[in-house]
Amino acid sequence: MSGWLARYADLVGSDTLHALESLARRLRGHRIVMVNTTRTGGGVAEILHRMVVILEELGVPTSWELMEGDERFFGVTKKIHNALHGRAEPLTEADREVYLERTRAEAGRLKLDGDLILIHDPQPAALIAHRKLPGQRWVWRCHIDLSRRDPDHWEFLSPWVSRYDAAIFSAIEFVPPLEIPTYLVAPSIDPFSAKNREMEPEEVDSVWERLGLRQRGPWVTQISRFDRIKDPLGVIEAFRMVRARRPARLLLAGGGASDDPEGVEVLAQVMERAGQAKDVAVLELPPGSDLEINALQRGSTVVMQKSLREGFALTVSEALWKRRAVVASAVGGIPLQVLDGQTGLLARSVEGAAFQTVRLLDNPVLRRELGAEGRAHVRGNFLHTREVRDYLAVFASLV
Amino acid sequence: MTEPVPFHFSTVAHLELPAGWVATDLDGLSEGIAEVPADSLFNHVTRIGARHPRARDLPANDFARWVGTALQDPETAERLAFAGAQPIRPIEDLRAALVAILGSVPKRRRSESVPESAAFHFVRARSIVAGLALEAGEPERIVDLWEGVDLAAVFYHLVEARVIGPKADDLCLWLRARGAQSMAEGAEALSSAGLPLARLRREIAVRWRRALIPRRVVRRAEVPEEVRRSEERAAAAKLAGRLRGAPRERDRP
Repeated sequence: MSGWLARYADLVGSDTLHALESLARRLRGHRIVMVNTTRTGGGVAEILHRMVVILEELGVPTSWELMEGDERFFGVTKKIHNALHGRAEPLTEADREVYLERTRAEAGRLKLDGDLILIHDPQPAALIAHRKLPGQRWVWRCHIDLSRRDPDHWEFLSPWVSRYDAAIFSAIEFVPPLEIPTYLVAPSIDPFSAKNREMEPEEVDSVWERLGLRQRGPWVTQISRFDRIKDPLGVIEAFRMVRARRPARLLLAGGGASDDPEGVEVLAQVMERAGQAKDVAVLELPPGSDLEINALQRGSTVVMQKSLREGFALTVSEALWKRRAVVASAVGGIPLQVLDGQTGLLARSVEGAAFQTVRLLDNPVLRRELGAEGRAHVRGNFLHTREVRDYLAVFASLV
Repeated sequence: MTEPVPFHFSTVAHLELPAGWVATDLDGLSEGIAEVPADSLFNHVTRIGARHPRARDLPANDFARWVGTALQDPETAERLAFAGAQPIRPIEDLRAALVAILGSVPKRRRSESVPESAAFHFVRARSIVAGLALEAGEPERIVDLWEGVDLAAVFYHLVEARVIGPKADDLCLWLRARGAQSMAEGAEALSSAGLPLARLRREIAVRWRRALIPRRVVRRAEVPEEVRRSEERAAAAKLAGRLRGAPRERDRP
């Protein structure tokens, strides 16, 4: 065992890796091709970088093909992406033609020479119409929450999805009606990435200092993009209740404001509300602030994720991995990560979030226990090795 | 006379898929429990254990947690938790027990519902089994291999194969067939207790080793003195190496 697998052995145990190797042996003689539209930025590219290497190390030949597009194509796919998330914009005939034309062109260029093809997200979904060969198995991996999908956009996309041999979704709530086998595979985090790697306390302190956060804690933080569904105003409200009873500071940090008009509006409201409250800091993080996020999570006494709606919310797993005490809403994929009272505390209201936060601030032993259990839970369920295992199982079920 | 069949260890990955049933109240939950395939029921009462192999204290099963947190009915939740806390139990018995508990809840409470966003989705689990290339011809060899077997395999051979099948992968059944009655009984007793898997693996290993002491003492006495000494030196060196080395992440509390 070498390379990335050897690094994982210390974390998950060699017995778990031997089990992975055994599953991989079921795919001897097969070849996987992954397809998405970007090599940088975003969670999908992040995971593919690691996954391709891990699968190769497990002896399953795997390649990664990139579907390319121009500004018009990505404008249309952004529209589809938003609409599948519930923010509908009409899909015009011209939009459809742009999508289909680019698909045809890329279908002729991409090297889809494996027998197991894993297509990520809606952008390359229609490739199947042009390239599926007899004997190949095509799987569509949807990383998006489709529970509030716009019906017109889904109607456009679903005829292609229905041609796949199987589809994979991150949570059961995201699964649309489909006639093909659908599997549930939760996303995962990379323990060796800048966002999750170990940091010495001095390094953590220096990042906090560099970001201008020199005041003593305890710090309660929510690190999420400035979006209404993350309920930053609710977090401030909950913190005001906490602050009335205990000395503490709140940090709201996140990105997403600069390229999103709604984000700008939300950030402005947050700034205004924070200005009226005591001991609240707001920090807008530029893209690529992974190390900063890592340090902010590690330096927090309590990490909050008080979302009103969520996809999977891997930020929770990131905090649990760092042994942080977490208070989070029971929405989306959060209850899979936060088992109430075991790996963190759940809240269903502003008062509930305040109550749970006070409990944690007062009780270092509880914080330590939840942190330790939370880390163990992530180790077993939300690291890349588990996601690789699930993909191997999906493919093994198809060959 | 037929050759005794060796035991082949396998690991398992559980592929989850929607079962097609969704509940928003206790009546809906009861209907779902009555109708879903056995693998779905089995998955909902055991997956917390499979997902928390190293927990100190296992959380309740999926039904109990949903009733406790989403429906806010702690009394029914604890009854469901208790009924589902015994992993080695015929599925139809389990189904009947869960349905009986839900049927005994006063009618008014049974129809209190949660919004769609907090609904209970029944999930099926398809087991993808892969051979571990570990084979034991004799029960004693099982003890040697046991700690190198991953926790999914422990779950598969001690719980899943016993309740759902296939019987050929039921380790206790194989031990009995090979005359290792006390090993089988020890494993059965511990796996029926619903312990977290890491603890189950550890405690079974201790029990089996203890059970084998008399047989090993006799065998050891037959080994030449020189060989015994050299083996003892190797064991001492290995222990010293372990004491010098840093603890691995997964060994830390």
